[in-house]
Amino acid sequence: MEAYNPNPTVYKSAKTIRKSGAKEGSLWLVEDEENIEDSDEVEPLDQDEIFDLIRSITDPEHKHMTLEDLMVVSAPQIRVGSNLVDVEFTPTVPHCGMSTLIGLSIRVRLLRSLPQRFKVDIHVKPGSHQSEHAINKQLNDKERVAAALENPALLSAVEDCLASAGLRGERLE
Amino acid sequence: MASGRDQDVEETVAAISDGQGTLLDVVKALGEYLTSEEDALRTKGVEFMSAVLSGCPPERFNRQSVKVLVSFLCGQLEDPETVVPALKGLLSLTYLPTFTSGDAVDVFDAILAHVKMKSLVQSQRFIVTIALKGISKRFVPGYISLVNGEKDPRNLVLCFGIDRVLLLEFDVKDHIEDFFNITFCYFPITFRPPPDDPYGITTDDLKNALRKTADTPGLVKDVCHECLDLLKEPEKSQAKPAVKTLCAFLSTTGPVSTYTLAKAVPLLTALFHNPDEASNRTPTLTLLTELVKAARDSAPESESEVKLAQFKDDLLGIMTVGLKNESSCTTALEGLKALVTTKGLMSNDELGYTVHNVNEIIPLEWANTEEIIDSTLDLLSTVSTRSPMHVEGTTLPLLFSTLPDRAPPREAASERAKCWQTLAFLSKLCKQPSLFETLVVRLTTKLDLICGSTAHSQEDIEPSAAYAHSILLTLRNVLKDKVDLGHLDVAKYLDRLATGLHMVASEPRLLKTAGEIITLVVQVIPTPKQQSFLDSLIKAYLHGNAKILALGSLKIPDDQVFQPLEPSAPSLQKNMIVLFSAAIIALHKDVALPVADTSQFLQQLYVWSVHHSETLLQREAAWYSIASVTNKRCDDAAQFLTACQEQIWPSDIAVADRPVVRRRLSISAWTWVTKALATRGHPSAEGFVDRLFEVFDDTDINWDAARALGGIVAADDILTKYNHAVIRILFAQRYCNRLLPQIVEGAKGAANGRQQVAYLVALTSLIKTVPKTTYVSEMPTLIPLLLRGLQLRDPDIRANVISTLHSATDTDPNGSSIIAEHIGTLVSAMLENSKIEEMPSVRVRVAALKYLGLLPKSVRYDKLHPYKSTVLKELSNILDDPKRAVRKEAVDARSNWFTCSG
Repeated sequence: MEAYNPNPTVYKSAKTIRKSGAKEGSLWLVEDEENIEDSDEVEPLDQDEIFDLIRSITDPEHKHMTLEDLMVVSAPQIRVGSNLVDVEFTPTVPHCGMSTLIGLSIRVRLLRSLPQRFKVDIHVKPGSHQSEHAINKQLNDKERVAAALENPALLSAVEDCLASAGLRGERLE
Repeated sequence: MASGRDQDVEETVAAISDGQGTLLDVVKALGEYLTSEEDALRTKGVEFMSAVLSGCPPERFNRQSVKVLVSFLCGQLEDPETVVPALKGLLSLTYLPTFTSGDAVDVFDAILAHVKMKSLVQSQRFIVTIALKGISKRFVPGYISLVNGEKDPRNLVLCFGIDRVLLLEFDVKDHIEDFFNITFCYFPITFRPPPDDPYGITTDDLKNALRKTADTPGLVKDVCHECLDLLKEPEKSQAKPAVKTLCAFLSTTGPVSTYTLAKAVPLLTALFHNPDEASNRTPTLTLLTELVKAARDSAPESESEVKLAQFKDDLLGIMTVGLKNESSCTTALEGLKALVTTKGLMSNDELGYTVHNVNEIIPLEWANTEEIIDSTLDLLSTVSTRSPMHVEGTTLPLLFSTLPDRAPPREAASERAKCWQTLAFLSKLCKQPSLFETLVVRLTTKLDLICGSTAHSQEDIEPSAAYAHSILLTLRNVLKDKVDLGHLDVAKYLDRLATGLHMVASEPRLLKTAGEIITLVVQVIPTPKQQSFLDSLIKAYLHGNAKILALGSLKIPDDQVFQPLEPSAPSLQKNMIVLFSAAIIALHKDVALPVADTSQFLQQLYVWSVHHSETLLQREAAWYSIASVTNKRCDDAAQFLTACQEQIWPSDIAVADRPVVRRRLSISAWTWVTKALATRGHPSAEGFVDRLFEVFDDTDINWDAARALGGIVAADDILTKYNHAVIRILFAQRYCNRLLPQIVEGAKGAANGRQQVAYLVALTSLIKTVPKTTYVSEMPTLIPLLLRGLQLRDPDIRANVISTLHSATDTDPNGSSIIAEHIGTLVSAMLENSKIEEMPSVRVRVAALKYLGLLPKSVRYDKLHPYKSTVLKELSNILDDPKRAVRKEAVDARSNWFTCSG
């Protein structure tokens, strides 16, 4: 397989997304989190939660690195509306031939992890890829996505990338 | 003869070994096979020959036969059909003692002359490579030309190994350039194993093999330069393996290590200072930190010279610059830690300089992230284990000065958060005995001020209580860590902490934390000291002599006596029993209660807990004391135990006309007494346990009694080793082995539904506390019962059942046939318990989803298949749960079910 970017830039991974143990507005320093239990508070889906779902997808070209390591995805590049999720990603090089596979992996992960009411838009960061338009079109065309997933080789490549997705920022090694 | 069957080979080998035949006979017999015109026959012939050779014992070969065989087999190398078997034969011969270096040269020449490496397939090249391993001087240039251009990773791993041996053992002076070419043309390694690679060679295997090769003196210079080039782009992915390679050099010989550092450190230092590379400062620091760590870890114990000494000022300067920048701060802290932990590197003044710089970032807004705080604390506590004076002299005053004397008002959330953060810092930094002393003095003084300031005011006192609580928690946490670390200085804080803390009686959370502090201190003081402390406690609590307790703001008015156990005592006094009990539970068993009659005292506590106490906290405190004394001094308690059986059970528990609330409290007290007896394996424990079954038909209290059966052996914080409890080994197993059959029997076929449910409750409560091995053989009987338990309304019971199922389910798809048998019921029960409409408890929903996600790993796919589409569909609705924790488990469970397939 041709190497598109044998020596990509590695970024420092973000910290684990963890809300501070002390609840805002509380007077008391609470150490264990058992108090979360019976509150009726609704915790809406936010960009951090979406990021958590996709951060540990393996980069198809660098099997020991995640999309987060290479800053292909990041929390600020995600927008969440009431029934809409918009994910932007950044290929490491403008000629990266893996971009579609990356986008497809993100789509499949979100397809499996989000309630059906959400419409998911996935696109590369404007100006970050030479075939930006083609990739975006492919990733957001329902039928083309479905057709791609009918292809067993492609599906297995996607599953390979997704195998690590459950790590949610824990280290691969 | 030459049928190629293993049996023939074995027979032939046996004949030769027994001396019945000779190798010559074999050659003769093979005659026409070896010279046949037909390719297949020749291959077979040589193959047979080689097989026999590899089987024959060495003593059957003499010098002459080896020579003949070598020249014969070398001849066979010319023939493409016999190359492989001939090489195999030669390979066996090379192991023989009679195989001389002359033979080696011949073999080698023949290989060079006749083997056309590039026309062979991998497996054949592999044999060639193996056959070459271990021959001599003329070998080197030939070897180089042979392996030049090899691409298959399987062979490369081997080649790198051979390269290393050659470089170490052979005279390769004239060929070093060539060696560099045949090894470092592969550097950096970008190999990616194909999916499903059956050979299992990973990128790391190759990298490690290559790194070891690089680790040989001849190559160092060239490799070093290659790596340094890669370091010039510190942000790229190859920089890390490059720096790892350089780090590997550091642990070789002295000169190599010095050379490497002299090249790498200045390069990275310059890079750090280069304004054009400002954006790469963080990765540059990361690489430097790697080098510093490697230099630190590679220094042998005996070595007096410190490798990094000449770079120390530069490094320290760079790290302190990096420290002040948000993005590089964590890395800089890590780097500083590496410098601090390098033996003999940093002077005391430099440690002070480091601490001073770290102090500067502590108050900064951006440094208030978990990651930076953790690294800061890590560094500061590392420094203070080496020399506490800097942290004590500069960091602590800085931290204490930010703690106000009065609580931040209710609306000042950020100020409060700041206090908590400061306290968190203090609790991490002050474990060192001298630092801990400062902490205790400063924090108890602070407590005095806080409690004093609110004693008489009418204002909102909750913020003050909460602030005091956070300070107490800090003390508790440090004490706990110190006790775990075995620090002996804890004992000397008895007065300051155990008696001094009696000022906090008004708020349950403060009481609880203060109690924990008292327990921690009393645990570690020696028996005689415990005894005298207890004497004064009893004087205070039972005889009204409260002067010894620093009651602070709770000064007892002159017209009031301190009698917390009196029914009419005010609530604040009753609360003090929590602190009293906190000391009692930590006593050694040799410490006798200085009361006239221990049994009577226990009876008094019991009556107080059921009739006069006002809160759960107070009641539990009494029960803990009863349990602790009964456990440690059961002889003193004999009369009390008799009273339990003869009075308390028949007239407080078993009588239906008493108020249900009281009966329940009595069952709780009963549970603690039984627990105390069972824990020490006391013979009367069984009698106490069996009584509980007697009320299984009484719907007012049967669930309480049933739960008590589990509570008796559930883990607790009172009857522990730290609290010097008398614990019989494996008492919980014994207990379960005795009761489980009885309970299972009852759950299956008790007289009526009420009793069956009680047995079911007992089962679910008991089974979660016992190790899996106790009941795993009973699973076929238990599973149907547990599934019935899942239908009980109580969320606690459901959570227990699910966690029991979880621990009883192996993550081995071929193991749990019993789980597979019930898969349909399990799947639908878990799905029900995952839905918010059916199950309001978040805990149960999370547990059910976790279990659902476990099934694909534990049950064969063909059993799961019929449910797969239902599960995926139902889970897709649960992905919309209002709670994040539930959604997370739903995602994980769903993805496990997605990927499972036959």
